[in-house]
Amino acid sequence: MTDATASVHGSLFQADARTRRRRAAETRFRAYGLGAVILSVLALVFLLSSVLGNGTGAFRQSVIRLEITLDPAIVAPKGTDPEALAKVTTIGYGRLLDQEVIAELTAKGIDTAGMSAKDISAMLSKEAAADLRRMVLADPSLIGQTITFDAFANGRIDGYFKGRVTMESAALDSNVSPAQLLLAERMRDAGLLRLAFNPGFLTAPDASELRPEVAGLGVAILGSAYMMMIVLVLALPLGVAASIYLEEFAPKNKLTDLIEVNISNLAAVPSIVFGILGLAIFINFAGLPQSAPIVGGLVLTLMTLPTIIISTRAALKAVPPSIRDAALGVGASKMQAIFHHVLPLAMPGILTGTIIGLAQALGETAPLLLIGMVAFVRDFPAAPPEGFFDPASALPVQVYNWTTRADPAFMERASGAIIVLLVFLVAMNAVAIVLRRRFERRW
Amino acid sequence: MNDMRIVERTVDANKAKMTARGVQVYYGATHALKDVSVDILDNTVTAFIGPSGCGKSTFLRCLNRMNDTVAIARVTGEIRLDGEDIYDKRVDPVQLRARVGMVFQKPNPFPKSIYDNVAYGPRIHGLARTKAELDQIVETSLRKAAIWNEVKDRLAAPGTGLSGGQQQRLCIARAIATSPEVLLMDEPCSALDPIATAQVEELIDELRSQFSVVIVTHSMQQAARVSQRTAFFHLGNLVEYGETGQIFTNPKDPRTESYITGRIG
Repeated sequence: MTDATASVHGSLFQADARTRRRRAAETRFRAYGLGAVILSVLALVFLLSSVLGNGTGAFRQSVIRLEITLDPAIVAPKGTDPEALAKVTTIGYGRLLDQEVIAELTAKGIDTAGMSAKDISAMLSKEAAADLRRMVLADPSLIGQTITFDAFANGRIDGYFKGRVTMESAALDSNVSPAQLLLAERMRDAGLLRLAFNPGFLTAPDASELRPEVAGLGVAILGSAYMMMIVLVLALPLGVAASIYLEEFAPKNKLTDLIEVNISNLAAVPSIVFGILGLAIFINFAGLPQSAPIVGGLVLTLMTLPTIIISTRAALKAVPPSIRDAALGVGASKMQAIFHHVLPLAMPGILTGTIIGLAQALGETAPLLLIGMVAFVRDFPAAPPEGFFDPASALPVQVYNWTTRADPAFMERASGAIIVLLVFLVAMNAVAIVLRRRFERRW
Repeated sequence: MNDMRIVERTVDANKAKMTARGVQVYYGATHALKDVSVDILDNTVTAFIGPSGCGKSTFLRCLNRMNDTVAIARVTGEIRLDGEDIYDKRVDPVQLRARVGMVFQKPNPFPKSIYDNVAYGPRIHGLARTKAELDQIVETSLRKAAIWNEVKDRLAAPGTGLSGGQQQRLCIARAIATSPEVLLMDEPCSALDPIATAQVEELIDELRSQFSVVIVTHSMQQAARVSQRTAFFHLGNLVEYGETGQIFTNPKDPRTESYITGRIG
């Protein structure tokens, strides 16, 4: 009677064909998943290492340390009152610098044979004299004293120490000669020239094609900060109010359906379209100034609103209906139920959506190009609110701007700017996480 | 059904607190409640029993207009509280719900402190002028809900940190803090264990002295234990309504008899 006890299922110790196939499918699927994760991690590592590799150089700059005696005969020939001081041009300061460099070279016994004074002077940045002049104008008491001054080296000299410029390329370059590079090397060995941290990269304004060594992100950071302020102040209340109305109060009819579909679609509209819209409405129609953070902020607000509305509505929907019932049950009005109970519970989701929207806006370039934020701006905008109407740049636009310039030194600065942008994005996400933790009540 | 404590009970000849006449409820095309007429008496516990989907919860939610929050729900007929039609255009459901409180099936305390849970209703209705008065209301409500001794030392603790039975009693305290006249309870014990259920049932009996209580329940034993009057709903109809003792011992309708003896439901 063994046949009767044999079951339709085989032994548990032996996998049947179907089980084997199922197991193989599962293994394959896991492999695909793992492969996808590895691929994306590799892409991220490659991106970060290339940006960091190229960009960290922007934070360090070649400087020539000089002990300068600010001779009143040169910098203040007509007395030290501000007007007289302002009459002394950068050319005067340039001469002072040139003398000082040659004096230092002779003092350190560095061989300058075969090089003219002009060749040596060209190794300094064109901005060095202006920097020195600004320093003196800001603090006239320095006149007559001997100060330590770090003069920026020329961008090509700087490039040589960062590996961007070689002897071969210098031989073909009208801006720098191999002899200058050799001298620079000797100066470095003598301790006269070194790579130093350059705070100017974060605080200085942009600079022209010929002086990449002094170009900074100051105006761009300020412009981006102003725009983020405008976006936050406008988009958060507007977006949250719109979501609450649509989610809780709006009658369910064809019109609200249409509005909902359009909001979802707006989130997918290419950002350059918002730029054209901003150009047409805010600049051509409303007559707001070009290149101003106010216009950029308004355009980015329009762009961010759909993101905020969609995430806020999702957060409101996720609040359990029992809380609404409880509030209505004790006689709260609909608005009280929403503002006292639903909104606080939805807050983490709303904040996350807002910060994602802001981060998106911070990195947006295309719409800003159309409203003139791409202009070369050297003057810092004033403090808000007036500053909202002053010309400014923006971080992503500055990156774009620098990558279009011919001098490879700007490539390094563009990578540096990307690092700054990424740091801001990480900081904003950190803020989002902190806020979410604070508002999230698990009881 | 021998275990039920159905004895001859004296039902006070109380006046009707709420009267419903010819109430029909539609959810979209579904006719959920058909021509229900009921008198809810003052200082009485009224139980609604019936199989799932029979319309008893729907009718309960009509009594404080919670059905207003359901977009597709439509209510016709007439429900009066102390002679005033609660579906009149001039009635603000907010005022109505302060007088007709509600306790839900699942305990749903606010994610706030125990104190704030109870104080919320009095606050929004302006029932207390001073902090001391509010403290008094909170204490009285928690005492009436028989939970004061358990929570008096941790009023600032979150309400959601209590056990299920405590949470439900907290919700009852929250409902009675606005001094309602009628208390609606939608299966208040369905999420509770037998001990917590017994506590809540005891509480319901005590609350009867101050409020008119309407309770929806799936447990016939519970209906028999706590209520003085019982209404049996079936497929959207009010089949039978009368004294609890009469419904359980001498039902007039064969459907009621089938249900309480366990043949339908």
